[in-house]
Amino acid sequence: MTIVWNPYEPITPRARRTLGAASVLVVLVAWAIVSALSLVAKAKLPSPVDVLSAFLRLAWDAQQGESLLFTATIWSVARVAAAGLLVVVIGVPLGVLMGASPRINAALSPLVDPFRSAPIVAVLPILVMWLGIGEGMKVTFLFLGAVVYLVPMVRDALQAVPSTYWIGAHDLGATPWEAVRHAVLPIAMPRIADAIIVAISVMWTYITVAEYVNAQEGLGQLIQNARRFSAMDQVFVGIFVIIALALVTYGTMTAMKKRLFPWELT
Amino acid sequence: MSSTIPPSGSGELVSLELRNIVQEYPMPAGESAGSKSDRIRVVDDVSVKFDRPGIVMLLGPSGCGKSTLLRMMGGVRPMGVKTPTSGEVFIDGVLSTEAHDDVVMVFQRYANRPDLSARDNIAFPFRLKLWRRKVSREDAKARVDAMIESVGLGAHADLRPAQLSGGQNQRVALARALVLRPRILLMDEPFGALDAQTREEMQRLLSDLYRSQPCLIVFVTHDVTEALVLGDRVIVLSGQPARIADDFEISEPRPRSSAWQRSSETQALEERILATLHGAGGSRGQVRVTV
Repeated sequence: MTIVWNPYEPITPRARRTLGAASVLVVLVAWAIVSALSLVAKAKLPSPVDVLSAFLRLAWDAQQGESLLFTATIWSVARVAAAGLLVVVIGVPLGVLMGASPRINAALSPLVDPFRSAPIVAVLPILVMWLGIGEGMKVTFLFLGAVVYLVPMVRDALQAVPSTYWIGAHDLGATPWEAVRHAVLPIAMPRIADAIIVAISVMWTYITVAEYVNAQEGLGQLIQNARRFSAMDQVFVGIFVIIALALVTYGTMTAMKKRLFPWELT
Repeated sequence: MSSTIPPSGSGELVSLELRNIVQEYPMPAGESAGSKSDRIRVVDDVSVKFDRPGIVMLLGPSGCGKSTLLRMMGGVRPMGVKTPTSGEVFIDGVLSTEAHDDVVMVFQRYANRPDLSARDNIAFPFRLKLWRRKVSREDAKARVDAMIESVGLGAHADLRPAQLSGGQNQRVALARALVLRPRILLMDEPFGALDAQTREEMQRLLSDLYRSQPCLIVFVTHDVTEALVLGDRVIVLSGQPARIADDFEISEPRPRSSAWQRSSETQALEERILATLHGAGGSRGQVRVTV
């Protein structure tokens, strides 16, 4: 008999894929039935087929000879990549400093921690006032949305390393920074990688908000325009593409993490 | 196990002295209610001197303050607490307040880096500026190679800690310390988490390594049998606060046979230790006797 409520039950990759695909299929079928029976107005819920044909139209517009979807995706990916680079370059060292030094942590925690639960979206009007409506504002908004998660997670990753490593290195004659660099940081790296993955994933949830303002290019703009013309099928396409990009980003980064830190799994 | 370590610095003069050491810690929150003091004394006026190479066993019930004393000798100070509260540690007659180049510690939790192979873990100290300055690259490599063989890890040198057993991981930690050829080796219950058979193997290994590379080893344990099997000198500490309750030497050469371990002399020593510990009072922890 299969025991369902056993959190330690091993599950084969095939079973995992089958169960996952089945649940997606159930939702798709339910969606198709609801729209086929017109239980919800088409203007509010397009059918899966409508969404698919909208996707194909957006993917390649034969009349214009261009791909609106590809152009929008490139813009959004570029913004997430630019903000992601900033998040890593600024957020990781800041988190490492806070994790390595209780004094720096005490000084910076009150400035960083409260923003984890702050409504970052509410900061957008301020950013518009300060930075205008150009690319700088959009990238800064994505950066802020992600860095407030990243910094505390990186700090926590360092603080979770058992003190024996620091003490051991110190005893061997390491300077405080050498102890952090050679004994603590390498052990914290898998958790820091997790933090980066979460931070980049968070950015995909903010991309539409960032691109609503002065919407000219990007998936957020595509969704905004579609909504304005009540083209719900295109709104769905935009949402699905963002979800797909987020999944690809997550999958790629997780695979990279496994490759970079195989020892975490052995 | 045969050793291939060159006996560099063997039997060098060494002196480690604790003078009137007292250590107090702030009472944990909630435990100070009803108590006269908000501080708890874990070490009470300990004075002891080690002035030649040998294996000194610091024996006492768990939680009595042995590790606190050992870390003090190693210059490892917990943050935010004055250590020692009063008293002084001297190495070679010089007051020591920091980690000392000639003193290396081995912990029960091996502190092996999980991302490095056994070889790289043993070579770890040579990543540090201090040891890069003191030991040439070629010498470091030769020392590491020799040490890998000495601790019996030749076939496992390229494996990571997760692929090694507890005993093998402790061999890595021991090798990492000995590769620096310290004059003083401080061991904090290093074999405490190992099973009985592996513990015996490690005791034999330590004994062999000591023979080829004599130094002053201060070995903390709560295992009476371990103290008798390994120690040239056994210092028995009372329960918290730690005081020296007994201090005696064992002249039997190592390795000590099981016949010696069963002898009336050894039985008498064991009873003497247990009687001392029971008589000292105040003990909250336990000691172990391996039959």
